[in-house]
Amino acid sequence: MRPDDFAIDNCLKCSLCNTVCPVLGVHPQYPGPKRLGPELERMRREGVRTDTEWVEYCLGCHRCDLVCPSQVNVSEMIARAKAEHRKPLVRGLRDWWFARPGLIGLLATILPAISNFALSLKVVRLLMSKIMLIEPRHMFPAYSRPDLRTPAPAGKDRPRVLLFPGCFIRYNQPDLGRTIIALLEQNGFAVEVAASECCGVPATANGDATLARALARANVKAMTHQVESGMRVVAACSSCGHRLKTAFGGTLEEDKKLAAAAQKIAANTFDLGELLMQQSNAGKLNTRFQPTSLKLAYHAPCHQKSQGIGRPWYHLLRQIPGVTIEDLDSGCCGMSGTYGFKQEKYDVSMAVGHDLFESINTAQPQMVTTECATCQFQIEHGTAFKTIHPAEVMLQAYSEHRAG
Amino acid sequence: MESNRYDVVVVGAGLAGLTAAAAAVQQNLKAALVATGPGSFVLGPGWLTTADIARAGSAQELKEAIAFFCEKSLFAGCSLEGDLSTARPLPTLLGDFQRVALAPSSLWKAEPRPDTSSAVIGVRGLSSFDENFMAARLSECSHALGFSCAYAARQISLSRNFGVPVTTLRIATYFDRDPEFRAELMDALRSAAQGFARVLLPGMLGLHSSDHQIAQFEHDLGCSICEVPTLPPSVPGLRVFHRLESYLGKLGIELFRGYPVQSFEFHRDACTELRIASPGHSMLLRAESVVLATGRNSAELLGNDCVRLDEQMRPLTSSGALVAPNLFIAGSFLSNAETSRGDTLEILTGYRAGNLAASTRGNYAAR
Repeated sequence: MRPDDFAIDNCLKCSLCNTVCPVLGVHPQYPGPKRLGPELERMRREGVRTDTEWVEYCLGCHRCDLVCPSQVNVSEMIARAKAEHRKPLVRGLRDWWFARPGLIGLLATILPAISNFALSLKVVRLLMSKIMLIEPRHMFPAYSRPDLRTPAPAGKDRPRVLLFPGCFIRYNQPDLGRTIIALLEQNGFAVEVAASECCGVPATANGDATLARALARANVKAMTHQVESGMRVVAACSSCGHRLKTAFGGTLEEDKKLAAAAQKIAANTFDLGELLMQQSNAGKLNTRFQPTSLKLAYHAPCHQKSQGIGRPWYHLLRQIPGVTIEDLDSGCCGMSGTYGFKQEKYDVSMAVGHDLFESINTAQPQMVTTECATCQFQIEHGTAFKTIHPAEVMLQAYSEHRAG
Repeated sequence: MESNRYDVVVVGAGLAGLTAAAAAVQQNLKAALVATGPGSFVLGPGWLTTADIARAGSAQELKEAIAFFCEKSLFAGCSLEGDLSTARPLPTLLGDFQRVALAPSSLWKAEPRPDTSSAVIGVRGLSSFDENFMAARLSECSHALGFSCAYAARQISLSRNFGVPVTTLRIATYFDRDPEFRAELMDALRSAAQGFARVLLPGMLGLHSSDHQIAQFEHDLGCSICEVPTLPPSVPGLRVFHRLESYLGKLGIELFRGYPVQSFEFHRDACTELRIASPGHSMLLRAESVVLATGRNSAELLGNDCVRLDEQMRPLTSSGALVAPNLFIAGSFLSNAETSRGDTLEILTGYRAGNLAASTRGNYAAR
């Protein structure tokens, strides 16, 4: 783990963070992670007022953290400054909502059909852009009845895992949740769905530290019992997974007991691909794949890269006979959760994604696959290619499932 | 299929680590490269000096290692020029010349040429690059070297507001990404370069650009372009690192970027597993052999009890015992005044370690 409070003294101002920042490459005046992170943090710690609008433009992709030779937690410093930053009223209101995808999901799924119809209307989107500064060119994802439940136990002696669904699976794609459960069951696990809240990444990204802490507390309470009993937590969304693995971004550090419980969850959280890859390494992966013919392009989300687990899905999907898969390795998609929905940031977001769109267009795959839901929107928005979660590709490849 | 089992895991992505990984792949090993950041090469000018070459083990092996590195750089699209027999004086940011053995082509061409009219071109607002100072000093220093060149100073302005101060990193990023910016830079350079056969620019022609892209830019300008390295991190050095790293990825080397190695685990004396300190829980890699190229003063990784290396570059403890028969050291791991090495030795030891790793194949599999 990154030794937090001393990290700032490890910053040698070598500027390597600036060489990988996606925003710095598309916005000529963006000061970059070195300035917004360690440099201004020194002043902030001295109580000097250095509030700047620029912190709002940080994508939170963690690329700066990963390239730092001294393991300075650059993006965490920027996230703290974001929480202190004062926004104009309308943007503040909008971001209050954006920080709460769980609440939006809850309201939108009271009558999903009506919400989806309303959100698909151009006039509604235009109104939202005028009143709420929400970019009208982006479609909202469709909402679905939140009916993902713990399935009947698949077998008595199976190792049980706790699925952390995340807001997207809960409110938009419960079918993806069921796919993931089926995939885990195909590989010998019994699955329980966690009664969890939003992981808190959107809260931090939108500068709401209080909410992020409250969600972290609720999630610790919702999962501690199961983790104590030896269950592993599985996250299929890379941002949720990263959040859990970093003990909720260190939001609970002030409360020692909660922090210890969060650490325990962190130590037992696995990315879905990571868990299946472990099965594969132990020779326990179900490899009864039906041969297929599929040309895929894989985009590794930033929060997948920042988990430091290699490229499990890339290696898993390559085991399916007839699948060819290209790792695009073309940087950040630019969406960063709610960032791309913000009117004033839409152009930056699309410019960041430009390299990725180009390489998808060059690769000409049948489909793009990526773990992150908002990377999926952005790729479908920026290119003409269908984009799905790798779990769907893998489940489809099981012959039993097809036959059954 | 075990995705986390490798014939060799190389730790560190400086010159030594990159070379070791490339050499291992050349030997058909399945290799992984674990690194936090690009190593110290990018913090220098991006060229290799001749310092310490004389202390290399055998001239033949050094020659072979350098030829190997140059070949890989060429394939990666960031070719280095020069050889070890001659040292070429190349201009520095301070307007003097440093003797260099190998350099990326764009730096290599900047040697003093009395018969070529040369201009040093600065960019308005660019911090730490003073074309007037450089031109005057270069003229003076080239006299001292016996070349008698005259350098003129020119400045270009770019319409884009790059904030204050402008840095070569930012210009390089736009050079990579934005065709409009390249066109604007081309126009500005064209008028500044008028009447000169050669221009010297601060190193800024892209963090990822290939030899081909730079040659194309030069061709369109119709005048020879040389780069001068600026303050660290140097753009030409970063370019070499980026292109080599992405080339290694294409060769099939698995890259683990961002988190340091937390521990090594030994079974029956051999180092067979290492753990990467990724968030939450560590990531386990199994290895037939390990190459440590983690730079100066990183002996604490092995418990601080490594005092020297045997002839196969394996660390020995203070009592003279081998730490592990399949653990090799490349680069300046055990650094002190006696063992301090130049960049060329990083390449030599990396090359050697990558090849030695191949010799352990099949002996130390972690079961």
